[in-house]
Amino acid sequence: MNAHSEFPLVGGGKPMFYGRISRRRLLSSSALLAAGAAAATPLLGACSASSGRSGGPSGNSKTVTLTVMYKTDELTKAHIADFESKNPGIKINFVEYDSTRLNAMLASNEPPDFVRAVAVGSSSANAQELYTALDPYMAKSSVLKPEHLLSVNDSFRWDGTRSGQGPYYGIVKDWSQDATLWYNRALFEGAKIQPLSTTEPISYDELLEIGKKLTKKSGGKTQVYGLGVEWAWGLSAPIMMMILQQGGQVYSADLTETDMTTPEALRALRWYVDFAQAGVGPTALDPAPDGADLSLFLAKRMAITQDGYWYGGNFVEESDEIKNNVAMAPAPVMGDKRISPTYVGWGAAIPSKAKHKDEAWKLMEYFMAGPPSEERAKSGWGIPALKAQLTMLPQELPYQKQAYQTQQAELQYAGQLPDSPYMVASDGWNTVLDKQLQRAIKKEITVEQAGKAITDEVNKLLKQGKDQIG
Amino acid sequence: MATERARRGRPSWKRHSSGTFYLFVSPWVLGFALLTALPLGYALAISLTNFNGRSDRWRWVGLRNYAELMGDAEAIASLVRTLAYTAIAVPLMVAGGLGLAVLLNQRLKAVGLFRTIFFLPSVVPIVAMAIMWKLIFNRDAGILNAILEKISIGPIAWLVDPNAFYALIILTLWGLGGGMVIMLAALQGVPAELEEAARVDGATRWHVFRHVTVPIISPVIFFQVVTGIIASLQIIIQPLLLAQTGQVGNVGEVPETTHLYMVQVYQEFFVNSRYGYGSAMLFVFFLVILAITLFVQRSSRLWVHYTVDREADR
Repeated sequence: MNAHSEFPLVGGGKPMFYGRISRRRLLSSSALLAAGAAAATPLLGACSASSGRSGGPSGNSKTVTLTVMYKTDELTKAHIADFESKNPGIKINFVEYDSTRLNAMLASNEPPDFVRAVAVGSSSANAQELYTALDPYMAKSSVLKPEHLLSVNDSFRWDGTRSGQGPYYGIVKDWSQDATLWYNRALFEGAKIQPLSTTEPISYDELLEIGKKLTKKSGGKTQVYGLGVEWAWGLSAPIMMMILQQGGQVYSADLTETDMTTPEALRALRWYVDFAQAGVGPTALDPAPDGADLSLFLAKRMAITQDGYWYGGNFVEESDEIKNNVAMAPAPVMGDKRISPTYVGWGAAIPSKAKHKDEAWKLMEYFMAGPPSEERAKSGWGIPALKAQLTMLPQELPYQKQAYQTQQAELQYAGQLPDSPYMVASDGWNTVLDKQLQRAIKKEITVEQAGKAITDEVNKLLKQGKDQIG
Repeated sequence: MATERARRGRPSWKRHSSGTFYLFVSPWVLGFALLTALPLGYALAISLTNFNGRSDRWRWVGLRNYAELMGDAEAIASLVRTLAYTAIAVPLMVAGGLGLAVLLNQRLKAVGLFRTIFFLPSVVPIVAMAIMWKLIFNRDAGILNAILEKISIGPIAWLVDPNAFYALIILTLWGLGGGMVIMLAALQGVPAELEEAARVDGATRWHVFRHVTVPIISPVIFFQVVTGIIASLQIIIQPLLLAQTGQVGNVGEVPETTHLYMVQVYQEFFVNSRYGYGSAMLFVFFLVILAITLFVQRSSRLWVHYTVDREADR
């Protein structure tokens, strides 16, 4: 058996059994299949009606039903109604985004036509040829061309061996440079500490020292956390960023291995261990009640939180006490290179086996360059993916104006996180890092041993991914 | 002749009893074939591949997944942890359910209210229950630590190692009302004359309970033990939801002591994208559960007493 076996587990479109077959047997088998199909038609019809599967005419022979898998709060009913009214030949069958369901749909060769997809980490999907190259569509488009896109979209590019170059396989919806900091000036003043600069980045070591000073504990309980790093959301992206800032590498040249025992990697790991042992912020061993820093920050129980520009969207509806005291600071640095990447970059892609790619592209243009994208930009819940929309970011409130200026300066340091196509394990890095860092924090192992264990476990995952991708 | 006429006069479905039988069982057979046997066969086939759950780039790997599993230290450790959890949780659940049932089998005022209160946790959806306990266990803001603080204990980080294991046991025990109801039904089926006869013979309340009541309800206890073992071995939602973020997908935050076998399976499927390996893990687990169940079944001959002679029925 070769790497692309004939076994019809994933609906590869090939017959279940190979071998010679007589005409008589073929006819009898066909008759059986036809009878089975006839018997199953009402059932399948019912399924089709209930799921609204794309592919067939729906009422009008010229109407195409586009199956769209996204999140309701990102692609709203109002957006869908507006799109349908502007495109009378297209109806949308909306499916709420669910990664497991998406995988099942991809595996069965019945994918949605338009799907929510993430830029950072997309190389694994692209290596498996799951998504459509968008360049031919961009070449014909007047609103979505490569020159319109900010560099964050490069994470969606794939040249057959690595991300960052080659055709685009998706477009980012909105994004943030997720290592930037938000802080509450009142807590700094209360602790008699100079607030963070909104223009110059602080070093990670200084940040930890300030976090310690801002932390208030009483009777074994933490009253105020000095610094939150959104531990529960993942450790791999910030640690990779720290390594890049020191001039180090995360993967080998062929992207098949990692080495987390390098001085750069160990320094990053050690910072996280020091951070946790100092107890200045929530960690896996001292989790935030709801797994996120926001409620602590809004309750004035956290002085600094490491979140992207999007975080500012949270404060618009808050009290003046919050709005007048929050400020955004540049991403901290560990080493000489100032790099401030996005950790995620949610966007959209068109699966390679989608049935209505042209119509899906129309939705892409509408969603990424039309009214929904303008709404997103004006809301301040992220940075737009199009250069032209940067000026739409809100600047009405003082904190919005300050964040806008800091963000504009930060853009020049946007970098791309490394991405191996062999990391098929969706959350593999984070799972391994969290486990081994916890052991180091509890002093069961040293940071060096943690680095070695992380290297071994991640390399095992990369090897498994290589085996799966072929 | 009359008999023949009478026979012919019967509806056709009564004349062909075997056909009728098959007709009536066919919905179940069809359901079993399509919804159980077929998916099982499919899963078995997947366990022989390196399928990653979304791409058609996969191939047969034979028994490689099973061979790898035999040397997978993490999977074996999670299995041992699961067995330990089961060994602790099941006796506590059964004994606790029986104890509650005995208490609520007394002539008490408002006994119905008490029974309802103890049974209520069993009907709370498991997700709501886990979220509620996550808040109760919270180190800084949880009510449990607030109570313990009154007696100068804590604060205790319940949701991280090693306390996470105890937190999981406490959460499990909170739902023992379901077992209590079954035990209560069994207790109410114990003939009062037998207990009275024993008392007349001078037996204490404990002796009556130990030597009369328990043997009579032992088939129900056996049922509770077997279903409890199977349920405990397969526990997954509670450890996932008690984890740091409380989001099912964040397996990485599940503390080591509550990283049970099904959590490891979940990780292989949905984090590591190893559907083949995960399927192999499930088939091996099926054999483990089967072996444990058969062992308990076998041991039941020593301690389960049936009021009917099963051997005589054969």
